[in-house]
Amino acid sequence: MTGSLPAPGVDVAAARRLVRIGLRLSGLGLAALAGVYVLAIRFTPTEASQGLAQKIFYLHVPAAWTALLIFSLVGIVSALYLWLHDPRLDLFASASAEVGVMFSAVMLTTGPIWAKPIWGTWWQWEPRLTLTLFLFFLYVGYLSLRSAVHDPAERARFSAVVAILGLVLVPFVHLSVYLWRTIHPMPIVLKPSAPSLPPEMLRTLLIGFAATLLFYWGLVTVRYGLGLVTRAREAEAMRNA
Amino acid sequence: MPENGGYMAAAYGLTAAIYVGYWLRLRARARRDTALPPSSPAP
Repeated sequence: MTGSLPAPGVDVAAARRLVRIGLRLSGLGLAALAGVYVLAIRFTPTEASQGLAQKIFYLHVPAAWTALLIFSLVGIVSALYLWLHDPRLDLFASASAEVGVMFSAVMLTTGPIWAKPIWGTWWQWEPRLTLTLFLFFLYVGYLSLRSAVHDPAERARFSAVVAILGLVLVPFVHLSVYLWRTIHPMPIVLKPSAPSLPPEMLRTLLIGFAATLLFYWGLVTVRYGLGLVTRAREAEAMRNA
Repeated sequence: MPENGGYMAAAYGLTAAIYVGYWLRLRARARRDTALPPSSPAP
């Protein structure tokens, strides 16, 4: 099946409003993240054995959780798109995927910076790290595919299949520390038993996660609104042609 | 306690650069893409 996707029934003015709301939300998210910096550096105790490098945890883990959550969401929404053929689902998936790649870039850069002083090496080709890098490249491929395929219906269908492959990979990323021998530490919060983290550290981590989610929600609202503007203009151009 | 504050500073600086850089890029795109089209000249 080829052809253009119908433009979602939203006018350009409403899409512009959505973009403005998203910019405010994401700006608020950035301010909240600045607060998390202060909270983590100034008001959270320094871990005795790792020193100040352990504070990277408050950026690395929320970025990792958010990226994996986004990639799961993109996979689920893409599967729903293949079923329902609603263009809004494809629009949401593409908007979220780009933001997810940005968060996984944070995860993949802060991880090695933390690893160097603690493990003595920037990188190891072990299951958790390798699978995470593979997931990142899968989504870079997803974005490249979207810019390479011009037919909107084909673009949506092909990229949905890639996103579902990413969804299959996410549980392996999380469970890799249980399934294989790995240098990466076991989960200390997202595990069947209670979190093994002092309350002050857990509080900073959860506030950091909430701020990261707020930032994500703002960014995805902007990207979704911009996608609506583009599609509404494309539809208008087709009508005028 | 190990002296490794430089790694923390590098990670915090890099994360801030990625977050703020992406947000500024998106804001610039939003301004460009949502700008009203130039009005057509009067007949």
